[in-house]
Amino acid sequence: MQLTRNMSKAMKATRRRENLSAYLFLTPALLFFAGFVIFPMGMCLVTSFFNYSMTDFSFIAFDNYVEMFSDPTFGKSLVNTIVIVVVSVPTVCLFSLWVASVIYKMNSFKTSFFRCVFYLPVVTGSVAVTVVWKWIFNNYYGLLNALCKTLGIITKNVNWLGDPAYALWCIIMILFTTSIGQPIVLYVSALGNVDHSLVEAAQVDGATNRQVFWKIKWPQIMPTTLYILIITTINSFQCFALIQLLTNGGPNYATSTIMYYIYYNAFKLNRYGYGSAMGVILAVIIALFSLAQFRLAKNDR
Amino acid sequence: MKKLLAILMAVMMMMSISSVMAEDNVEITLWTYPIGNWVDPETVDGIIANFNAVYPNIKVTVNYLDYTSGDDQVTGAIEARTTPDIIMEGPERLVTNWGAAGKMLPVNDLWTEEALADISAGSEAVVAACKGADGNYYEYPLCMTTHTMVIDRAAFEAAGALQYVDVETRTWTTEGFVNACRALTDAGYMTGVVYCGGQGGDQGTRALVNNLYSGRFTNAEHTAYTADSEENIQGLTLLQDMVNEGILMADPSIVAGDEIALFCNGTITMGFCWNASAAVSNKASMADGIDPLPMAFPSDDGVPELCGGIWGFGIFDNGDAARAEAAKNFIRFVCDDAQQGPASVYATGFFPVRASFGDVYAGTDKEANGEFMVFMPFLGDYYNVTGGWAVQRTEWWNLLQRVFGGGNVTEEVATYVANANASIK
Repeated sequence: MQLTRNMSKAMKATRRRENLSAYLFLTPALLFFAGFVIFPMGMCLVTSFFNYSMTDFSFIAFDNYVEMFSDPTFGKSLVNTIVIVVVSVPTVCLFSLWVASVIYKMNSFKTSFFRCVFYLPVVTGSVAVTVVWKWIFNNYYGLLNALCKTLGIITKNVNWLGDPAYALWCIIMILFTTSIGQPIVLYVSALGNVDHSLVEAAQVDGATNRQVFWKIKWPQIMPTTLYILIITTINSFQCFALIQLLTNGGPNYATSTIMYYIYYNAFKLNRYGYGSAMGVILAVIIALFSLAQFRLAKNDR
Repeated sequence: MKKLLAILMAVMMMMSISSVMAEDNVEITLWTYPIGNWVDPETVDGIIANFNAVYPNIKVTVNYLDYTSGDDQVTGAIEARTTPDIIMEGPERLVTNWGAAGKMLPVNDLWTEEALADISAGSEAVVAACKGADGNYYEYPLCMTTHTMVIDRAAFEAAGALQYVDVETRTWTTEGFVNACRALTDAGYMTGVVYCGGQGGDQGTRALVNNLYSGRFTNAEHTAYTADSEENIQGLTLLQDMVNEGILMADPSIVAGDEIALFCNGTITMGFCWNASAAVSNKASMADGIDPLPMAFPSDDGVPELCGGIWGFGIFDNGDAARAEAAKNFIRFVCDDAQQGPASVYATGFFPVRASFGDVYAGTDKEANGEFMVFMPFLGDYYNVTGGWAVQRTEWWNLLQRVFGGGNVTEEVATYVANANASIK
């Protein structure tokens, strides 16, 4: 009895020590997370209730939120943001899955080569990427106009970034090229980890390629798909650098997004409180979208 | 014991000496926007070396800003309370923005009677621009210029459009401008582009619109924006008609920097954003056969009113009297010293605000800058000190985008004026 009691005490002490070590190891990361994520989020929420500028810091309750929902530019930016997300997320996921399903079967050299090619825009700085795209879309001597003219698609130059009919689609296209790298790498890895014995068993049972994909592979890569959906959604909602560097939200707010409008209010007009309120709403929208994706993916499994 | 005591005393003496030295040495920081060669570390280090020859105890550290992200860096620094001691820019930021927000120290003591008289002799507008609404000076100016436009003399000559330009006075009329654009288009040249992709170089498009029918951008008191005046509506309507006719272009995807590049590579034959510094900095990138001729903006009466640029120094209120005093010493040396003052102006590529400095380019490799002196009599009102300037700038290029996107000029300027004036506090 005594022996059991002593053993139990010793186990508890060991567990306590292990827990303590674990928390100590976690502490630096937790401090970093609290200081650079949790605290700014809390500050953002608090300042959203204030008229916070360079010269003022007064409590105004929900006035920033009321103003936001009657601000036509915010409305336009919200619509643009949702268009970007709705178009960009499915296309990025589908294209990445398609590319990955083609290249993961290749030999390791070819697979690595294609992974590098598609990952290149991700590791290239946003400024460098936008400079190249700006040249491609240039109204006067751009590559795209020259190509389209040569192919007889257009007869005179199109101002791709200056025409409200095309500008947002150009942004979505650039965002697409910079977003597919990581999903392709993740899908190649996930497809490579699919249990091959199940695939073979299904094939022996007479399953078609389509059935093998949807019944065997798709459920096994679902966690990866869920992760890709969420990170692509968040990245699309937070699309900012491309817009700031290429269009400044123009023409006539045709490419303005919530992130850009937050930046504009906070840094150009020094309306930190109003910018924070928009940040809170953006966080809520991203959370809702992510929740919906979690639910859908759960049902799918 | 005696040895120990001696060592202790020696240590204490060393500590007291080093603390006295530390008190005498002051470290200050300077942030500068790209004003001519004030973006070039070699030039700025040279100026600091000259300063340190007189003030060896003041160490100056420099951070170079650009116009794309500079404002964001300063805003971030203000909120994080890490602002520099000295900043070099124009009154629209130093006085109207940060000065009015109480972030700058008054620099009234730099404005001695002698300095005031000397600067006033050059331009009263400079003095007024550096003074805040509370009567304090928040900027001590170094240089000034007029913002002009530029045409390609060779293309104008080839198209028979040079007849509409007074090459001597560098002026032309609105009618001449329209005729020149038609002649250039007929000859197969692309004329100019009214850029409106952002606020970069927006002084050019403002001056273009205002001058066509002698409109004003603000009222005389700088308390309201007046883009909805009859003259400005006429000017915008004319530009809209010219764009529709195909003799002028408008582009919401470019800013002034892009337009200058188009001019330099020979794509277009006139640019609306030019000045003495741009002439020097773009000399190397100018394509063969292009002969840039700086011009005033066209006006109905042939008498233009050009936007001015004023650049100088302000001091952020960092709560440290010693650093503030060191910053003032630096500004005095850079702007007022009989030898360094003209050299500091020379580095900007612009013109001295002090009349006594005379022509700082005579006999130098920048002698060509002297041709911009012809525009000084056309220096107009420095309206950049009007409140709500930051909002106005965004509203302006958005107004141009709407107008050239087919919007009704009268309605669009009304929206612009309502939004811009609402931001004036």
